[in-house]
Parts: sequence; structure tokens; C-alpha cells
Amino acid sequence: MQYMLLIYEPNEPYANASEAFLSEVVAKHMALSAELRESGQMVSGDGLQGVETATTVVTDATGGQSLHDGPFAETREQLGGYYLIDVPDLDAALAWARRVPVVPGGKVEVRPVMIY
Amino acid sequence: MDLGGAIAGARSRVVAALAARFRDLDLAEDAFSDAALTALAVWPADPPRDPAAWLWRAALRRGLDATRRARTRAEALHDPPPPDPTPEDLAMQADEPIIPDERLRLIFVCCHPALAPEARAALTLKVVCGLSTARLARAFLVAESAMLQRITRAKAKIAAAGVPFEIPTRAAWRERLGAVLATLEIAYAQAYEDAALAGDAADFAAEVLRLSGLLAELLPDDPEVLALAALVRFAEARRPARLDDSGAMVPLDQQEVVLWDERLIADGARLLDRAAGEKSTGPYRIMGAIHGAHLARRETGATPWPTIAALYDALILLRPGPVTAVNRAVAVGMARGAEAGLTALGDIRTDRDLEDWLPWQAARAGLCEQAGLPAEALAALDAALALGPPPAERLYLARRRDAVSAAVRAG
Repeated sequence: MQYMLLIYEPNEPYANASEAFLSEVVAKHMALSAELRESGQMVSGDGLQGVETATTVVTDATGGQSLHDGPFAETREQLGGYYLIDVPDLDAALAWARRVPVVPGGKVEVRPVMIY
Repeated sequence: MDLGGAIAGARSRVVAALAARFRDLDLAEDAFSDAALTALAVWPADPPRDPAAWLWRAALRRGLDATRRARTRAEALHDPPPPDPTPEDLAMQADEPIIPDERLRLIFVCCHPALAPEARAALTLKVVCGLSTARLARAFLVAESAMLQRITRAKAKIAAAGVPFEIPTRAAWRERLGAVLATLEIAYAQAYEDAALAGDAADFAAEVLRLSGLLAELLPDDPEVLALAALVRFAEARRPARLDDSGAMVPLDQQEVVLWDERLIADGARLLDRAAGEKSTGPYRIMGAIHGAHLARRETGATPWPTIAALYDALILLRPGPVTAVNRAVAVGMARGAEAGLTALGDIRTDRDLEDWLPWQAARAGLCEQAGLPAEALAALDAALALGPPPAERLYLARRRDAVSAAVRAG
């Protein structure tokens, strides 16, 4: 089954982070991706640019559309990246999700993907 | 032949085997119900040699038919040719099919930590124990429609999220088993909750007792599993002594020991002895030992408070939390003096507002009374009564309030 691991983290730890801290985070993700690829369970995965770069297309009740500067919801944790993996079951997906590097307060949501 | 008894006795094993075979809880339950209905019609005239094997064969047949029908619909075939016999069909033609014991797998599926704890408890009691949605709704104090929705959602999540029908791996074992034990604990708490519902709740508690016994049978070497099974037996043994004739709650250390159920106590003690043979110590073993220590009053006539306080000192490290901390404060008060107890009560740190928490106010009232502070005790009892305790506890607290207030006036 395919699962998407959606990574939500608070922004503060990244806002004024040192170069060293950021490269450490990147290195951890690279290591995890390498291991996932090696296991044959990686479909894809990427980090997203910050929410200050987000633009949201809003469709209202009557079908009219407008643009909103920012993410769809202003929450403390924001979607910052994802892994798409292909594993036998939820337990395997949760085991990978636990290993996604996040800062304190970070959350990884595990969602099965519908395959059409 | 006791038809109902034979069907109930075979149920968990057959449903578990069906669920593991078809990876579908609804299909397993429906196939078993169909087979049981047929059995009720057929058995009186033609009783089977092995009712469980008969039910397994009949339910497996129905399950296979249902999956074939679903496949046929999906492929939109008209008038399909009769299918070739599958290995299952051939196995079923054998005289005595062996029913694989998949009950542990089924329990792990129903108690998966990806499901909310209340949903786990309800689903396990429904699927593994066969309790009706109506019965569960009464036990969990929700409307039947809400209970049905809870169970339907849990089943849908198991199917859609890919919860595995497997025994967890070593890496996940502790967490998964912890979720199973927590589920049983919630289920029993539901049964224990209201002592006033003696008949109904006792019958529900019997199901939880059976389930914890089944788990101890399936995992006979796990000390925490054995200890939890012991713990629910000890707690249930005291049910007949928990209310007095007026319906008021009787605290554990004042209960009439002759009312305790000796058979359940003996069963629990045997389980706890087996747990004691294992090396590791977990919270359920300590809780079992605490219950066991209270029950020792049968023989000695006195509650061994110093032992109980020492056990709580250990428990608070393994399972910190306000409930453990309040119970510990009471035990410390009895073992080491009211001052020590009040200090322990005052040291509790939690997000909860303790002033608005019934167990905290009730414990505070007892400790203040013990410390010779009747005015403070009276205030705590008033606060506890204002928090809307259940009827049996209300009667007990009101009675104590009258006694303390008489003492305050006299003093």
C-alpha cells in the first residue's frame, strides 16, 4: 500500500536557525531517503518552501474563485514536506513515520493513498 | 444440547479464523451469524459431533460465497461457470477441519493504537466477545446509534488504513501489547464504574474477565498480561461488598471481607503467582500486588498500609499520573501519617485543575479529617459534593459530611 507521510512542524526553530542546524536537518532527511530507496519502499519525497511562499486558491460556496496570500489555515504547525512510500501495511508506514526527523512539537500524519 | 452455549463457546475462535482468512471483520461477523442461525435450525434434529468445527465449516463456506459473489459483481460476469474447488473447499471436505487459532491476531487488530482507545474497547468487545451494539451502548453510556457509528468507523479505518492482520514485530511488540492491555483496562473500568448497576454491569464485567483470561491463555508468559487478568479478578471479587444496604459506597478498607468472592480471588492469586515467576516488573504487576495486599485483610484483619504505600512509591515511577498520585497520597497518609499524606497530595503537579477534581477533593477530605482539621475536611467534602459524584459516592460523602460537621459544631 502507498502511504503519504505529511510532515507538520512549527516554524520558529527554523526561522533563526544556524547554517549548521539546517544542514544537520537536511543530512538526516538525506539519510532517511537513502535508506528508504535502498529498501525499495520510496516512491518520492520532497521538502516544501516556507508558508510565506504559499498561495491558496479558494473556491467559495457558489463556485467563484479567489486567491489568498498564504497557507489555507494559519496553524502553529505547517506542512513542510512529505514522503510517499510503498509498504505492506500501516505498521510498516508508522515505523518509517517515527523516524522522520522533526523538531520538538513536530507531527507526522500518515495517510493511505487512494490508487485509481 | 445447549445450542446457545455451544455457539457462544465457538464464536471467538471461529470469528477470528474467518477475519484472518478474509481480512474483513464485517464479513467474518456476518458469516458467523449466518452459520449460527442455520445451526439453530438444523442442530435440534441433527446435532453435530463437533459444534465448533460445524460452525467453522458453514461460516467459511458463506464467507467464500460472499467473496466470490463480490468478485463476480466486480468483474460484471453473467452466469459465471461454477468455480473450480479452491484449496479451502478441499480442506472443508475433510471430516474434521482444524480451526486455526487466530484470536491473538484478531485482538491485536481490534486494539491497534491507530484507533482511539474507546473505539478499541468497543470494537474488541463487539468482534472478539460478540457483545451486541445495544449492550455496548448501555455499558459505555452512549446512544446505540453513536456506538454503532463508533464501531463502523473503527472497522472502516482498519480496512482503509491498512491495519495489518498480523502479530506485531518485536520492534512494535511493547507498544502494541500496551495498547491491548490499555484497551482491556478501559473495558473493565466501564464495567467497574457504577456499582449500583449490579446486575447489568456484573454481566458485562464477566465478559471482560473472560477476555482478559483469554489473553492470559494466548500469552501465558507475559507477566503484564497475567497481572492484568489477576487485577480485574481482584477488583471484581469485591463487587458484592462495594455498596452497603442503603446503596452508599463502602471504601475498600472498610468492606466486609466475607462478601468478597473467594473463587475470583483464588483465580487472581494464581495468575499473579505465575507473573511473579517472570523477571520484568511492569505497572500492572504492581497494581495487582496493591490489590492483593488489600485482599490480605481477609486473613490478617488489617490493611497492610506500609506495604501498599511502598508499592505506590514504585508505581508512581512506572506510571506517573494524577490518579496514581492521589491514591498514593491516601496510602502514604495511612502508612506514614496524615501530614505526609497531605504533603504528597500537595506535591501533585498536573494540567488538570485539582480543585475541580472529585478524587482529589475526596482524598483531601479524608486526610484533613485524619490530621484533625475538621474545618478543612468539611470544605473539601462540600467541594466534592458540588462536583456531582455518582449516587453511591454521593450518599457516602454526604454521610461523612454530616459526621464531620457534627464534630465541627461539637469542637
